[in-house]
Amino acid sequence: MFQTINIAKGVNVHVNETTQFKTINFSIRFKDKLTKEKASARSILANVLQHSNEVYPSHTALRMVLDDLYGTSLYMDSSKRGNEHIVTLNVETVNDEYLSETGVLEKVMNLMYIVLFKPNFEDGLFKPSIFEREKSAIKQRIESLFDEKTRYAQQRMLEHALPGHPASISPNGTIEDVESMTNEQLVAEYRTMIEENEIEIYAVGDIQPETIAAYIREYFHFSDREKPVSAPPLELKKPKEPRVLEFEVMKQGKLHMAFYTPITFHDEKFPIMQVMNGVFGGYAHSKLFVNIREKESMAYYVSSSYASHFGLLFVLAGIDANLEEKAVKLILEQFEEVKQGHISDTELDQTKALLTNQLKEALDSARGQIEIYDQYMELSETFEPEDIIARWKNVSKEDIAAVAQDISLEMTYFLSGKEEDSNE
Amino acid sequence: MNKVHFEQLDETLYHEKLDNGLEVYILPKKGFSKTFATFTTKYGSIDNNFVPIGKTEPIQVPDGIAHFLEHKMFEKEEGDIFQQFSKQGASANAFTSFTRTAYLFSATDLIEENVETLLDFVQEPYFTEKTVEKEKGIIAQEITMYDDQPDWRLYFGMIENLYKNHPVKIDIAGTVESIQDITAEHLYTCYHTFYHPSNMVLFIVGSVEPESMMALVKENQAKKTFEKPEEIVRIYPEEPVEAAIKERTLEMSVQKPKVFVGIKPEVLDLSGEQMMKHELAAQLAFELLFGRTSDFYHHAYESGLIDESYSFDYSLENGFGYALIGSDTQQPEELAKEIDNTIQRALELWPFGQADLDRVRRKKIGFFLRALNSPEYIANQFTRYAFNDMNLFDVVPALEALEVQDLQAAFYTVSLESQRSVFTIVPPEKESE
Repeated sequence: MFQTINIAKGVNVHVNETTQFKTINFSIRFKDKLTKEKASARSILANVLQHSNEVYPSHTALRMVLDDLYGTSLYMDSSKRGNEHIVTLNVETVNDEYLSETGVLEKVMNLMYIVLFKPNFEDGLFKPSIFEREKSAIKQRIESLFDEKTRYAQQRMLEHALPGHPASISPNGTIEDVESMTNEQLVAEYRTMIEENEIEIYAVGDIQPETIAAYIREYFHFSDREKPVSAPPLELKKPKEPRVLEFEVMKQGKLHMAFYTPITFHDEKFPIMQVMNGVFGGYAHSKLFVNIREKESMAYYVSSSYASHFGLLFVLAGIDANLEEKAVKLILEQFEEVKQGHISDTELDQTKALLTNQLKEALDSARGQIEIYDQYMELSETFEPEDIIARWKNVSKEDIAAVAQDISLEMTYFLSGKEEDSNE
Repeated sequence: MNKVHFEQLDETLYHEKLDNGLEVYILPKKGFSKTFATFTTKYGSIDNNFVPIGKTEPIQVPDGIAHFLEHKMFEKEEGDIFQQFSKQGASANAFTSFTRTAYLFSATDLIEENVETLLDFVQEPYFTEKTVEKEKGIIAQEITMYDDQPDWRLYFGMIENLYKNHPVKIDIAGTVESIQDITAEHLYTCYHTFYHPSNMVLFIVGSVEPESMMALVKENQAKKTFEKPEEIVRIYPEEPVEAAIKERTLEMSVQKPKVFVGIKPEVLDLSGEQMMKHELAAQLAFELLFGRTSDFYHHAYESGLIDESYSFDYSLENGFGYALIGSDTQQPEELAKEIDNTIQRALELWPFGQADLDRVRRKKIGFFLRALNSPEYIANQFTRYAFNDMNLFDVVPALEALEVQDLQAAFYTVSLESQRSVFTIVPPEKESE
């Protein structure tokens, strides 16, 4: 699907030439080691770079050019995957085949070049007003997590269960680190990102790989860089407390449970864990959904998810604040069923069918293709979706029960509105 | 079968209206492996006062019933329909809006089986008092979940502010109290009135062969019997142009205040071409006034009045509509005032010309082309347009035909001070300030 062209050591261009989409998608990913300080710096950096540059010194000027290029979407974001922090420049533009105008693509590539290589510098620093403004934007982004109680509860749970571990580091870092960031530090971070980070460049659309590669070679001048030595995944330590209860002014209780598993993304048993998660709580036919929601009418949402880079399995449920104990008991009963291998043929077949469907569906969007390849190429440079589908097919109930044996519940976190309610 | 080719978009749409009144649309997408199908009835939360099929007197049904019915459609005597879809490798879902209820699946395999399942489960109601009772717990948790979401409360709080009588002001899911009154009999009444094929649209998009799929749908429908189609009598109250409530504040567990300025549009009875023209013109006018290239955005962002949560939106349905502009902000009053001033200034002197229109029009065309990569967008939006007698694929030519004065005219319908309202959510400790 993707054709890979090496541009420099540590810099690859992957192109999927296809007529499936009416647009052309680019994704340029800068990968670095994840720490909370780096996460803060790189989040601010992503915002500063997408805000303005030397050629388009105001946000308005830049956005006007994008509007003129048929609403080309251009944004940068910061995310994490395992021990890696990734800053991405995402661009999507219309294929000029559908327009009366040509040359749009080249203008867009030039704009990507400007965004990355022509920052809005004043005396060797980022323009101070923009630097301050975007620092405050990231601070507010971190703070706003509190408003979304499900995400907030998940973050709190991780902080309690795995303090300082990459699993609990926010891709935006912390407010303290954002506040203490200096302009000089950010410029240094920028240089590191452009000159030293491993870079994967993706392009999907009706375009020729050679055209993209030639353009990037000519304009982007990425030098050789070392691929960071991939550190072994950090060990999951036992949390200090197995159960944490916190209160907020809210109506629903948010139950979050963390299970540890020794099986991670790189383990050959990884596909078994995916099927296990699907049977346990991944889908509307799963044990959790059928028993907790449909049979007990206790929750609107209850599900499990597998964070394969860390070896974590989560269960999330929104329940009445008085029902924590009952919900935990029922969830653990369902987990015990999986552990005992009490899985029906239907449950197993449905899960495999839906995993397969999900993967194929994701490949029907350009973003999905990029995400999946960027991830699975870590496992094998010649990754084909059929490989993983075939591995799911071979998973048996016994395999699932066996991996479940090594999964342990380490922490239960409950964000409750109970206390406030009883005061009313 | 009718076949329309949209040259500019390189898409071909197949359509047929079946004998029972069902509108069927099929759009093959080259290169896609998935198929996405939606089966939608023109029945949403606002349809709570109507004349039941075969009756003469209107009835009023409990709040949240269309959404409750959506939940209950998935349960059958033989079990849960999700299980059936899962077996066939499909992920299924449904949603209820103000004006419609949609059932959908997406799958990469066994498309014919999944389409049959979709048609059959929506056309075979099965409700018992026992299963209706059981669902109340689940939906109560759903309502509670939304109650804790400040952005949803902000959105709904604003709609309650704008509308005095119209049922759009009722939360789509109803309340924990109102759903207690729902019975199986209610569900059957609503079902039989609104789930007639003549009130529904089937849209299938993706990896699909149109001829054989149309044949399959026709055969499936021919096997079933339906009542004779009747015109559905829906009753909506009179609604003044003015916003019902000028200003309101709600306390919630948030980090920072959130504010919306809402505007209630004046023109409410449009459909077809007129509606499309008006909606697009108003959207472009708002883009110019409040979009990311506007003077307003520039000043508000630079001065820290708005942050990344900033949004604006204009949307219109038959009988109601709203424009919403807002953000998380430490200065909700200043932001509301600035939004107001921006509108006032544009009223006094319309600041936009041809070049501005050309720019936002290109942006909108680009957005539309991007959206056509998404089977979900096509199916959902096409259906929404169809229920308002519009064709989604006319959007580009309609955009191209717009003139500056169209934008200005559309803007005038949302410019009166009395049409505006402000809704604010504040953290508890800030209340005393």
